[in-house]
Amino acid sequence: MFSLLEQSGFTRVRSAIVPGFRFRKEATQNSAEAYGVKAVMMTALKPDKA
Amino acid sequence: MTHPADMQEALEAVLKDEIIRMYQEVADNPGGEFHFYHGREAAERFGYPTAWLDRAPAGAVASFAGVGNPHERSHLQPGETVLDLGSGAGLDGLIAAWQVGPSGRVIGVDLNPSMCLKSQAHAAATGTLMECHQGRMEDIPLPDASADCVLSNGVINLSFRKRKVVQEMFRVLKPGGRISITDIVSAKQLSQSIVNDPKLWAS
Repeated sequence: MFSLLEQSGFTRVRSAIVPGFRFRKEATQNSAEAYGVKAVMMTALKPDKA
Repeated sequence: MTHPADMQEALEAVLKDEIIRMYQEVADNPGGEFHFYHGREAAERFGYPTAWLDRAPAGAVASFAGVGNPHERSHLQPGETVLDLGSGAGLDGLIAAWQVGPSGRVIGVDLNPSMCLKSQAHAAATGTLMECHQGRMEDIPLPDASADCVLSNGVINLSFRKRKVVQEMFRVLKPGGRISITDIVSAKQLSQSIVNDPKLWAS
């Protein structure tokens, strides 16, 4: 997502992991961890002269 | 022989149905157990202030199925126009509407027309102005340069065409506009069995 935002013209792309995110079911959480699945917050700007 | 593009289109159609089914179930049966946290428990987990959750209609809070708090860094200002992409039962749109005030405008977009009706009912119940348009995030039903901020909470990951979604967000933003989104990302390529399984993908 981060690179997609930059490639599409967004600037000042920032991301941070959402603390506290996890799946309710243990099996789903374990699979998610195996794939490096995380919830992230992303912010980005469309330049003034886009 | 079936062309890969046709196969993807067919899979997308199945996925669309599964996404509508799953999130409709959260809205219709918020007391049910899902593999993700939802409702007030999830919103509190992500730091939504109690005052917001107490002010919003119970149905909007109970059906919340986000993965974070996009308001934390949205810096919404009175008078701004906000697009809530994948607006669901409307909790994030309502919170945005309270921040931009009566001189602002909040436009929800959701794949499911019945969720649009639900979010508008929740807005009406609190005397909040909020629109909702049925549509796809890959083809946002808004004109170019029409929003100051795009909010989204846990829906972009559901698209097979994320590049198109990002391009659409860019298109509808005014110059100098911004996004504040929370979503699920994966560090590793998902297996083909997950990609080809609409139930897992919709999760």
